[in-house]
Amino acid sequence: MAMNRRDFLKVAAGSGLLLASDIPAQATMPEKLPPQAVGILYDATLCIGCKSCMVNCKIYNSVPGGALYLKGRDIPYEANNYEKGIWDAPVDLSSRTVNIIKVNTSGTAVNKDSAENGYSFVKQHCMHCISPACVSVCPVGALRKDPVNGVVYYVENRCIGCRYCMIACPFKIPRYEFEYALPQVRKCQLCHHRYEEGKYSACCEFCPTGASIFGKVVDLKKEAEKRLSLKTGQEYDFPVQTVDSKFTMRRQVSKYINHVYGQTEAGGTQYLMLAGVPFDWIGFNKSIDKTFLPELTWAYISKIPAVAALVIGAGTLTWAITSRKNKDKGES
Amino acid sequence: MNQKDIKVITPFSMVLIGIMAAGAAVALYRLLFGLGASTNLNDAWPWGLWIAFDVVGGVALAAGGFIIAGAVYILNWKKYKPIVRAAIMNTFLGYLMAATSITLDIGHPFRIWHPLVMWQVNSIMFIVAIHVVLYTSTLATESSPMFFEKLNMPRALKFVNKIMVGVVLFGVLLSCLHQSSLGALFLIAPSKLSALWSGSLLPYMFLVSAVLLGLNMVSFETILTGRVFKHKLPMDILSGLAKGSLIVAVFYFVMKIWQLAKGPGIGAAFDGSTAGNMYLVEMLVGVILPMILLSMKDMRSRVSSIFTINLLVITGIVLNRFNVATFGLAEYAGQSGMDYFPSVMEFILTLAMVSFAIFAFKLSVKYLNVFPEGQH
Amino acid sequence: MKHDEQNLLEEKLGGVSRRDFIKFCSAVAAAMGLPLGMGEKIAEAVTSPKRPPVLWLSAQECTGCTESLLRATHPTLEKLILELISLDYHETLNAGAGHQAEEARITSMKENKGKYILVVDGSIPVKDGGIYCKIAGKTALSLLEEMGSQAAAVIAIGSCASWGGIPSADPNPTGATPAHVVLKNKGITTPVVNIPGCPPNPYNFLSTVLYFLTFKKLPELDDQARPKFAYGRIIHENCERRPHFDAGRFAVQFGDEGHRKGYCLYKLGCKGPETFNNCSIQLFGDVGSASWPVGTGHPCFGCSEKGVGFTLALHSPARPKYITPPSLFTEVYPGKGGVPSGAKALAAGVAGVAIGAAGAAMMTGLGKKDEDTKDKEE
Repeated sequence: MAMNRRDFLKVAAGSGLLLASDIPAQATMPEKLPPQAVGILYDATLCIGCKSCMVNCKIYNSVPGGALYLKGRDIPYEANNYEKGIWDAPVDLSSRTVNIIKVNTSGTAVNKDSAENGYSFVKQHCMHCISPACVSVCPVGALRKDPVNGVVYYVENRCIGCRYCMIACPFKIPRYEFEYALPQVRKCQLCHHRYEEGKYSACCEFCPTGASIFGKVVDLKKEAEKRLSLKTGQEYDFPVQTVDSKFTMRRQVSKYINHVYGQTEAGGTQYLMLAGVPFDWIGFNKSIDKTFLPELTWAYISKIPAVAALVIGAGTLTWAITSRKNKDKGES
Repeated sequence: MNQKDIKVITPFSMVLIGIMAAGAAVALYRLLFGLGASTNLNDAWPWGLWIAFDVVGGVALAAGGFIIAGAVYILNWKKYKPIVRAAIMNTFLGYLMAATSITLDIGHPFRIWHPLVMWQVNSIMFIVAIHVVLYTSTLATESSPMFFEKLNMPRALKFVNKIMVGVVLFGVLLSCLHQSSLGALFLIAPSKLSALWSGSLLPYMFLVSAVLLGLNMVSFETILTGRVFKHKLPMDILSGLAKGSLIVAVFYFVMKIWQLAKGPGIGAAFDGSTAGNMYLVEMLVGVILPMILLSMKDMRSRVSSIFTINLLVITGIVLNRFNVATFGLAEYAGQSGMDYFPSVMEFILTLAMVSFAIFAFKLSVKYLNVFPEGQH
Repeated sequence: MKHDEQNLLEEKLGGVSRRDFIKFCSAVAAAMGLPLGMGEKIAEAVTSPKRPPVLWLSAQECTGCTESLLRATHPTLEKLILELISLDYHETLNAGAGHQAEEARITSMKENKGKYILVVDGSIPVKDGGIYCKIAGKTALSLLEEMGSQAAAVIAIGSCASWGGIPSADPNPTGATPAHVVLKNKGITTPVVNIPGCPPNPYNFLSTVLYFLTFKKLPELDDQARPKFAYGRIIHENCERRPHFDAGRFAVQFGDEGHRKGYCLYKLGCKGPETFNNCSIQLFGDVGSASWPVGTGHPCFGCSEKGVGFTLALHSPARPKYITPPSLFTEVYPGKGGVPSGAKALAAGVAGVAIGAAGAAMMTGLGKKDEDTKDKEE
């Protein structure tokens, strides 16, 4: 007896549970790509591990509105406090690193983009899922998905720090500021604070090879499919910075795994990936399938009104029957 | 013993007070310096001892209240009336312990009120938060007769007694929902939680195991308080609880086997991995051994064996909560290279919470009419 | 040592003191990554009365490799050829010319059969019978085959001799072929060392020669027969602009702000990441820092690397040959599998408590006779 969210809210309102004035815009979890969805296409075969994306992500997110902004602190790039600066050689995503290049190697690691005696880079940051698990589990709606461009962003002043988003994310992305007494959740927000100025994600703007390109997800998907259809060794003008850029880098097409990661995984993501090695080899959990994760929880929540009705109804009935029985027996 | 003979300050209570004082200091330190300074939590292990034991375990341990209250007020099983107030009081204290722990565990303790006004109905955490607030208020209402009697407020007492059935029914509903919600918390992470525990049955198994644990906790508390405060032990109640435990234990066992067979297969529990071994311990201690013992009538009629069974179930089901909240996620978390063992401060706070529950119960027995019929 | 002996030795060494000479040999040893004690060994080898014979075959070359050697200072070329080796034949440096020079070659080959070192520079044209390079009426091809078969070792200096170099660039009209391929095709098994570069750093060549003279064997070579001490790492590993690469600071156009500030030249097409050589360490000309292409602000074009130099477009982006230190990358799976030790300890602890409590309870509680049902009256 599951019900959809609108009915659920009606019931909740009807039963007087609707005390508050603040219902977030996201009463329904989206399951389709938003109309102007933007994202990033990362091509691991083009990545040279220069980490320009990491460095510039830190620089351009340390400004007000950015994913790494902390009021009253220096921009990490210029900070004299080098413990928190760029050169902390981050070992993983953390409260100060929302984008990281990692590598997996095998054997002698001389063949780029090969799982045999080879290596591949991977750029790890928020996947901006179409139906984000983190958005669905946040009890106060501190993580939200923009209904127009689909960016999953963070509203700090709502967050209570329960860290459920960290449990929920199948890609282990959100990180926490355990080191502060007033902590925040930190993750990539696709540089959405730069869109107003006509700019886009800093990692894409500064990637020298076009490994990370920004654009509308529909265009990125087309570009990804196109690359998969090219022949290995063929020369191709890879767009740099954005998918529709005039500036291109001509080089030979590498051998790809015939799959665009993010088309269906976790119900689909706005951060897409191409690679020359299997995706679980570069860190993606094999058991992530095309299930929309919020649906798993909703399957339980939608039954709550029915359970409530059942318990109240059956309970009242039981009490009525047993009280009468007791009365008949002469007990009080 | 009479209430006036209960000594508040004994060597044991001094120890409890000492631990509580240490816990208060830890809480202050945590508030001032943050979670990183007071716990060993990290990005791969965002939930640790405080969530697994204090909150999830604590709520499960406090399941006795709604069962006994429901039995007495809804099912009208007056046989259990002598222990209903103690059960409610213990549950109330247990929920206070869980609520305090969750307040200290979240990153912004002073924003604990946010879920009340900032709603997000897709979130189980939100559901749990609302339930805990409502249920703690319900428990307060259910416990209020004891306070109204003490404070000599007959009108308030009369009013509360009139609405008690409705309040208890509401409490039963809330308990069913949030005991299962705590299991539903982990539905969102099927790719992370070991297949030994994950699956769509998880919330219902949490509910059933909470009922099992509640029955055994009530029995355990009854025997303990009987020993400590030198009451006559109500054998009919204890046997009744034991019988109820048997039924629930068998049901739970079947659910577990069903879930295991449908999921990774029975063999998965025997593969020698940490998760597999923990599953075996949990099943053996919390379900199988108790089931076998409970099925023997003479085991159900002797206090010492009942007490043993209670202990088995309590440790086993608490272990189950640990397994779901921490150890079932361990293999996945370990891939990141990070590790977790609770810090000294985490242990101190947890012990302080338990000490508070014990000490507060003692105080309530002394100053409130917790055993209106049972005191000799 | 005694005063007379001292003078004799100095005379032999052309006025260089023993200490200076040992210093030079130690410097050579250090450049090759050999232990310092080897300096003495090298000194002994090169001061033997009979200077080892070397014949130099120039094919399709530009003389750049010789010019590069002329700029060496430790040892200088004149020290090398006048005191350390017996350079019996070299087109550019011969005292004589014409038939006289050829005679010197033939005589040396006869006298030192199997013992001389053959240095080859320039590629060998093989098309049309090799007529595109002839010396004294003989094709370079036949000369190499003849000279190579009787040499103790062949050192191919320069990219042309090592893998074909500029004459072998598309469309390669003369069929320019490296020395080792020519020898292999003829079944000649004389060991070959390649010292690629356009031109190579002279010390790569000099150190190899001195190593051979000292130890009578070639230094450790890689799979392209290049000495590992010079060609073991890509230029990118030790590039002075590497911090800029690691920090994402690139010059995008010649003369832009990034270029003026000395940023990484990757975006201008620097092939450092796919070229094996030691230019970034040795530099050129002993004139101090930045005396190499990247240092002057022009991207490396991979002159020493087959498949890169004269093959790939100058400003096309390079594909790094392997993940290079010192840049630090996190592994995708740092945890080595299974549950980590702390969590395992906690699990063991909790399970232990459960089992212990259960065990204790069962041992004490099950067998007991019930004595507590009796009332305990006050």
